[in-house]
This record gives sequence, structure tokens and C-alpha cells, in this order.
Amino acid sequence: MRKGRDFRPVAGSPRLLEVARGDRRELWTETVGDPPPVYGERWTDLEDRRLRVFEPARSKLAAAVVRGWAGDLPAPGERWLYLGAASGTTASHVADLVGPEGRVYAVERSVRPFARLLALSERWPNLCPILGDARDPQDYAALVPPAAGLYADIAQADQLEIVLHNAELLLRGDGARVLVALKTASMGRHRSATGHRESAEGKLANEVALYPSVTLEPFHRGHFMVGGRWGRASKVPARESSRPTTPLGRRPGRRAR
Amino acid sequence: MRPTLVVGNGPALFLSGTDPVRMLGPFPFDPDPKQGAVRFESMGRSDLPTRLLSALESIPAGTSLAASPPRLARAVAECVGRPVASPTLEELRRARASVPLAEAALERRFFLALGHLRLERALRAPEEVLITLAREEERVERSVGREARAADSFVSVPDSPLDLHLVAWERARGALGDLEDGLRRTVEKEAKTLVPNLSALVGPRIAARLVAAAGGVAPLARMPASRIQLLGSRRRPSPDRGPRFGILYRADRLADVPIGRRGAYARSLAALAAIAVRVDAHGRRDISAELVARRDRRVETLRRRRR
Repeated sequence: MRKGRDFRPVAGSPRLLEVARGDRRELWTETVGDPPPVYGERWTDLEDRRLRVFEPARSKLAAAVVRGWAGDLPAPGERWLYLGAASGTTASHVADLVGPEGRVYAVERSVRPFARLLALSERWPNLCPILGDARDPQDYAALVPPAAGLYADIAQADQLEIVLHNAELLLRGDGARVLVALKTASMGRHRSATGHRESAEGKLANEVALYPSVTLEPFHRGHFMVGGRWGRASKVPARESSRPTTPLGRRPGRRAR
Repeated sequence: MRPTLVVGNGPALFLSGTDPVRMLGPFPFDPDPKQGAVRFESMGRSDLPTRLLSALESIPAGTSLAASPPRLARAVAECVGRPVASPTLEELRRARASVPLAEAALERRFFLALGHLRLERALRAPEEVLITLAREEERVERSVGREARAADSFVSVPDSPLDLHLVAWERARGALGDLEDGLRRTVEKEAKTLVPNLSALVGPRIAARLVAAAGGVAPLARMPASRIQLLGSRRRPSPDRGPRFGILYRADRLADVPIGRRGAYARSLAALAAIAVRVDAHGRRDISAELVARRDRRVETLRRRRR
């Protein structure tokens, strides 16, 4: 570790740290796994803690934090259900956040990404992979104990319906967290991106007390993070938004056309 | 609340009694996580633990039963000889909430075993085999091409280390070429059995690549012809110039069409391909002769017509 780097926990999440790096700040998660890196990310040691960089351009959850996400994040010791884990890039970081006492149940439908997720799970001590379709939660409801939170990154037109169906069945009840990385590009062209976000918030608001949504631009075009706490009555604690005053993170270059 | 049977706690069954707090179990499918995963997947009559069956017998015949997941309900119905419903959301939630947590290490071993089992099963499907092989074949083809191009510009001098390297390299290239030939034959054979009509129309290799790019026969069958035409194309559509070909560019007989007419041919071929793959996905009738005749007619028309 280089000298003079001042790692500080990001509000409310002891296993998520930030550090100044030039004119931007970097996010790191305290990892539960061992090298080699999952997807080529940097690792470092901070005294007896082992950290991995959590890159907003690679992960929508990191982008949400960088964009000032004020809602709850996965906390140590919790069980989280992760829908759409793909090959486990973000899932590994969620597993880092819940720590060695927590569990992440990662559902993925497609075969080839799942093969990589399974290989990752072999060496990530709190990751439980499930090859299954998030549209059919009864299939894995048998295996997943009631969860403290649900993180969904499923690029489907009916992603909100899928999320709510899963949440109803699998979350532990009022106060459980729902986080949805909303991909508006797969929700049709009949609405603008903002329109999709608003309709998603409307659907969620029937069941959850919403957190303020954030856009994931410029890291992920047309994406938003929406979510809330299960139970309409549950109160979202008023927490000062960590919206940055200075830009966080590097602006990725424009995608080549 | 009906007696509700749920799986939980790794590979074990729990029966929540009529009394909501009383919970029967665990009835492990098998103490070994691997065997437990196999039984969890099959959930046939013989996979249900005997202790559970005797517990079920003690439930009065008039009481209605519920079980989740649905295949467990079917297996239990077969055993007890009366219908077993699927639980309501409320029943399921309550039953799940009272299942004790699994021991962490056992739970994980079960998940990994189940993951391997399901993955193996999924990869055994002929469709997945074709997709995997088609991708491999494409990759190996690229590397054969790359090595051949590199060989063009490699000059060796006799009796030097360069020459030794060249000999070893040529051997490796030969082996790579053999691998490609073998792969190609396998892919063609698999494509001909899985999508016979499409293979006859565009050629088995291209058919295999189309299926791989779409992620399966069913998704390809759902695609409109216009998407099949552009499947695998790299350029993004822009107002002035979009892509005209994707994988189809290398389809059979495209080379016979004059260059200025290939766009028109790609459109017709994609339309025919859409028909072919839909028949392959649903009807399994052999319409390849008609398709090929229409394709060849179209080629002739395009050759005759001037630009």
C-alpha cells in the first residue's frame, strides 16, 4: 500500500471504503475472497484488511454510490438475494459487503456466464450460485432462506414485476431492502429513460418506501438505481445524501460507435 | 393453515403442521450434499425420505396438503395418493420463515453441488452443445487465419534457431488445422440434426453460428427476418449508413450474387432463414427442397437483373 492514502468508510457501510486518488475518489470493498482478481481489478492490503477496487464503470452498484446513492447498501452479516448475477462481477462485491458472516444467493439463467459464476463461487466463501430463472422464484425459493435484501440487475422489459414477485416470496418482510439497477433500454422505446424510471418508481411505491433514485450516467448509459425498503409504512431514515460536490470517478470515454 | 411441505436448510424437507408453530423435520434428502442435490433435482417418489413418508401417513386423510416447489407437490401427491396443492403466498412465507437456518458449510456444499449438477445438465442439451462448438470453431478459425497470415511474413534462414522455430511452429499449425477440421465436421453434423432446414438454406456452419449468436433455436425462431439479417454485425446502425450483413454474409451462394445486389439478396435470404428456423423449431417438417429452390431462383433473378 502506498503511503498517505486515507481510506475512509463510506457512510453506513463499514466494508465499503473510499480513498482520494488525484482529483477523484475511488471505492474499495473489503474482500472475503482470495486472489487472483475476479475480473482484473486491483487489490491492495490495508493493515490486516484486504481490499479490491470497486469500479463504477464496471459495476452499477459502484456507479450508484459514486452518483450519491442515499439508500441502504448490503450490510455485514446479511443475506442478500442477487438476481441476474451474470459472471459475478458485482455479485462478488455484494458478497464482500455482506462479509464472511453474510450470504449472497446469486441467481443466473444463462449457462455460460453461470459457469464462470460457479467457478468464482468455489473460491468466494459466501457466494451461493443458483442456475435458475428469476421468473420462476418457486424453483429456488426452496433453497434461499428469507433474505434481508434483494439486488436485481436483470435487463428485461418486465424487470419490475420479476423483482416484486421475488421480493414478496423471498424477502424476510417489512424493512427488507430492494435495489434495482434499472436498464431502460430493455424496457421499450415507448417511453423516455426518465419515463421508465418514473413508471418503475410508481410500481415499486406500492410495496416499498422509496429511496431517492439516482442516474448511473455517465458510467452506464440509460441506467438508474431505484429501490426502497419493503413495506409502505417503513420509514426511510433521513440521511444526508452523499451526493458529491466534486466529481467522483473518471468519466469513461464515449463508447466507440 | 394447511400442513405445508417446503424444502429448506440445504437439502432437507420440512413439514409445517396444522399448528402454525409446530415444525416437523428436517428430513434430509440425503446426508451427502452431492446426493442431496441429485435427489432435490429429481424429486421422484423414490427420492423422498422414508421418515417423511411415515410422517405424512400420520396426517389424517381428510386434511388437504400443500407443497412447494411444484415438482415436490407432484412427487408427494403420487406417494400419498391424493392431490397436493401449491401453497398460497402467505402459507409459503410462514412455512419458510419457520425453517431453521442451515449449517453454513453444509449449505454451501449443497449449493455448489447443485450448481454443478444443473450446469452439466444444461450443457448436455444438443442446443448448448451446438452453441459451444460453434463458438469454439469460430475462435479456432480466427486463430488459424492469424497464424497463416503471420506465416506469410516469416522468413527463415537454414541452420539457424529460426529454422528450428519454424519447424515447431509448422507442426503446431498443422495440429491447429486438424483441430479446426474436426470441429467443423462436428459442428456441421450437429447443425444438420438440430436445424436441418436452416442448414440446407444457408449452410450448416452459418446455421450453427446464427443459433449461437441468438442464444438458441427458440430465440432465433422468435426473431424477425430483419434481425436475423444483421445478427452478428459489428457496425451500429446510423442514419446514413447501417450494417447490411452479419453472419449471413458468408452464407452459401452469397458469393454468386453480383456485388451491388448482395444487399437485396441478404434481405431475401434472411426472410427465408426466418421461415426455415421457425419450421425447425416447431414443425420439424423438411421443407429444405422448397427453400433451396426459392433461394436459387432469387440468385438467378438477381444475376440477370442489371443494377
